[in-house]
Amino acid sequence: MAVADFIISLLTFISIYSLFGIGLNLKFGFTGLIDFGHVAYFMIGAYVTVVLTMPAGAAGYSGIGGFALPAIFSALGPLGSLFGWILGVLGGMIAAAIVSLAVGIPTLRLREDYLAITALGIATILTTVVNDEEWLFNGPFGINTVHSPLRDVFPVSVGSFTLNMVVFGALSIAVFAFTGYWLVRVFQRQGRRGKLILGVLVPLIAVWYFVLPTLSGGMVELTRNTLWLFDPTAGPNGGIDYDRFILLVSVAALGGGYWLTERTINSPYGRILRSIREDEDVPRALGKETFQYKLQALMLGSALAGAAGALWAINIGFIAPDQFAATITFYAFTAVIVGGTANNKGVILGTAFFWGIRNGTRFIDVPSQYSIQLAAARLMLIGLVLILILYYRPEGLLGEQDYDIPLPSRNTSGGTDDV
Amino acid sequence: MVSAGLLDATVQGVITGAIIAGGALGLSLIYDIAEVPNFAHGDMITIGAYMALVFNNPGEIPFLPNFGSAPFVLAAVIGVVLAGVLGAVYELAIFRKFREKDADLITMVIVSLGLALVLRNAVLFLVGSKNIQYQTQRVITTNFDFLVTQSGLTVTSTQRQAGELVTTGEWGYPWWLIVAGLLAAVAVGYAIFAFYREEEDFTTVHLIPPKIMGAAGSIATVLLLGVFARLDPQGTDYILGTQIGLNVKHITILAVVIAAMFILNVILKTTKLGRAMRATADNMDLAQVRGVNADRVQLIVWVVAAMLAALAGILTGWFATNLTPNMGFALLLPIFAAVILGGISSPYGAVAGAMIIGLSMDVGVYLIPGSSTYRVAIAFVILIGVLLVKPEGIWGDV
Repeated sequence: MAVADFIISLLTFISIYSLFGIGLNLKFGFTGLIDFGHVAYFMIGAYVTVVLTMPAGAAGYSGIGGFALPAIFSALGPLGSLFGWILGVLGGMIAAAIVSLAVGIPTLRLREDYLAITALGIATILTTVVNDEEWLFNGPFGINTVHSPLRDVFPVSVGSFTLNMVVFGALSIAVFAFTGYWLVRVFQRQGRRGKLILGVLVPLIAVWYFVLPTLSGGMVELTRNTLWLFDPTAGPNGGIDYDRFILLVSVAALGGGYWLTERTINSPYGRILRSIREDEDVPRALGKETFQYKLQALMLGSALAGAAGALWAINIGFIAPDQFAATITFYAFTAVIVGGTANNKGVILGTAFFWGIRNGTRFIDVPSQYSIQLAAARLMLIGLVLILILYYRPEGLLGEQDYDIPLPSRNTSGGTDDV
Repeated sequence: MVSAGLLDATVQGVITGAIIAGGALGLSLIYDIAEVPNFAHGDMITIGAYMALVFNNPGEIPFLPNFGSAPFVLAAVIGVVLAGVLGAVYELAIFRKFREKDADLITMVIVSLGLALVLRNAVLFLVGSKNIQYQTQRVITTNFDFLVTQSGLTVTSTQRQAGELVTTGEWGYPWWLIVAGLLAAVAVGYAIFAFYREEEDFTTVHLIPPKIMGAAGSIATVLLLGVFARLDPQGTDYILGTQIGLNVKHITILAVVIAAMFILNVILKTTKLGRAMRATADNMDLAQVRGVNADRVQLIVWVVAAMLAALAGILTGWFATNLTPNMGFALLLPIFAAVILGGISSPYGAVAGAMIIGLSMDVGVYLIPGSSTYRVAIAFVILIGVLLVKPEGIWGDV
């Protein structure tokens, strides 16, 4: 497997989990709701989207549906099937939001820790229900007839091999150029320690990505890694394959989710959410019905998790209840806290850090009888990092982000009194 | 032969409730006094159970030499003590530091979650995920068949010995004895209640509240009469019949948990330390002003809670005859449900909540066919129902 392919799958993972984490950040970072059941909405989004979009009467499936939305809308025109899939994703997001409404109503009026416990309980119960009730979503056997939007269009080719290579190669290099430009900008704004960290990390990654494969695979590998968007083996003339398309969709979804939450928290509405986190009595004294705001934040965060679930389903192509264990929520909490609570950029950084380490350790060669030990050691490390970060750097790597509308009595460097 | 019914499910529920109560007592102490919603409590239960395993059955743990097996009771005592030491480590190394930084509730939740991950995976890392048992003697279950007949109640006790079903006893109670016994029980209970009840004022602290004394007296009367006033069988032509399976595990678990509750009760209500603990729970700053060494109190709370957790873990591992790294986490949700149900500021409420949760789990599974995988779900439905109606819990206040 070329390094480019590994990077593509890793980046897809990071985008999907970042979207999931941004949903959690809206609840936990900005509004102060500890939702330990966040993974439940990931699961609901995945299942509802898949069931809405898959064809009816699929082989080996004995649950509800499917409702084949893409097939129905494909009559509308060439993009009808895509529209059907998007409707399915919307359905998954709405379902996740409705379930979180049902969870929120009994728990949000109470102390903040009650939400944590009941949410964890309800998530566990929902996973048990999906696992045990075969009539619902096929139980433990899962669903492997996931509808992949625009699957038949790919690989996309724009002409001859050379033309493909030039077009997609130019796009790939443009992405590298933009990343480089962005890194330089970040580098200039950093303090001494930031410069040191970047100055060591970036060359290391560059050497790993460009130089090492060249040493082992020659110019072919270097070309494949540089022109990462272009897959020479896809179709007769090469082109862009489906994995790369999913990556682009995931990044676009992450961008959309990021934009949405940024708009939300930077608005006067978002200021109320933040003030609820700081001290709920204050907005209440000013006449804000805080319960409604908390409920809305919970629903919006859950809907984002649902969208992440829909992407997860098309990325993996198979969903089963055991993919949605409570540990996924804890991973997301770790990513949010490591990157910086109440900082959407931090969530992306934390998720990249977390999944980079988690998937990177796959390359460590361990005899197979010690695989349990490796997994356990990894989780122990996560728990330890969580405690150490909370003690030594409770604001996370990046700290709380700046807002267009700061809360009164807050300096612009970002306060830390929420953690 | 009659089949097991509601009564048997109730007995099972009481035992489940007792085990949950063991965990819930410690959790409510931490919740109330240290103000940590301790998500690591379930994994402290697991650790306690494995601590006892180290001494009872070391051959099952890969990295340990098989240095022989200590008797189960001794191993359990060592396990509980070692768990207490670990409790001190959690407090000194982690929670005290965060308290000194004035960490808020949310931070404490996440810290305890981190600790939970470390503990559970430490067990996985060291022992692996296989099912392990304690080395104990086999326990023989005695089945009691209760037959309600025209003339009274007939009881038959049977045991399975060497594969054969052996009848070990058959006796009965005529109707007049049952009625008289129940009347006597009510009379004894009320007499005890009336004797201990006194004019209450603000400072009255009962070691055991008169209501509970009275109820305990009634139950004791029924049990004593049942054991000693065994008359002839009243026929086997029954109208209603049900079976209860009991063994020494049931009795031991109930006795151990009640003893633990009683000791904790005595500590909380009669000793200076207990007063300091209750004062710290009420208001840590005021308690410190009055000369309570809050750090010492917190340390003791963590040690006691870890010991209670270990006790619950050892009893669970013994009762279910297997230990897995997930056993504590599986108990965590019912325990939290019990503590919240009872109102987090009262260990007595936690025990009451644990009994309600335990009973509803086992009786619910009996009453709703095919619901055995939803035991925890039943507990949570009850919890959410109570939260909607009476958010402060059934016993205390928030």
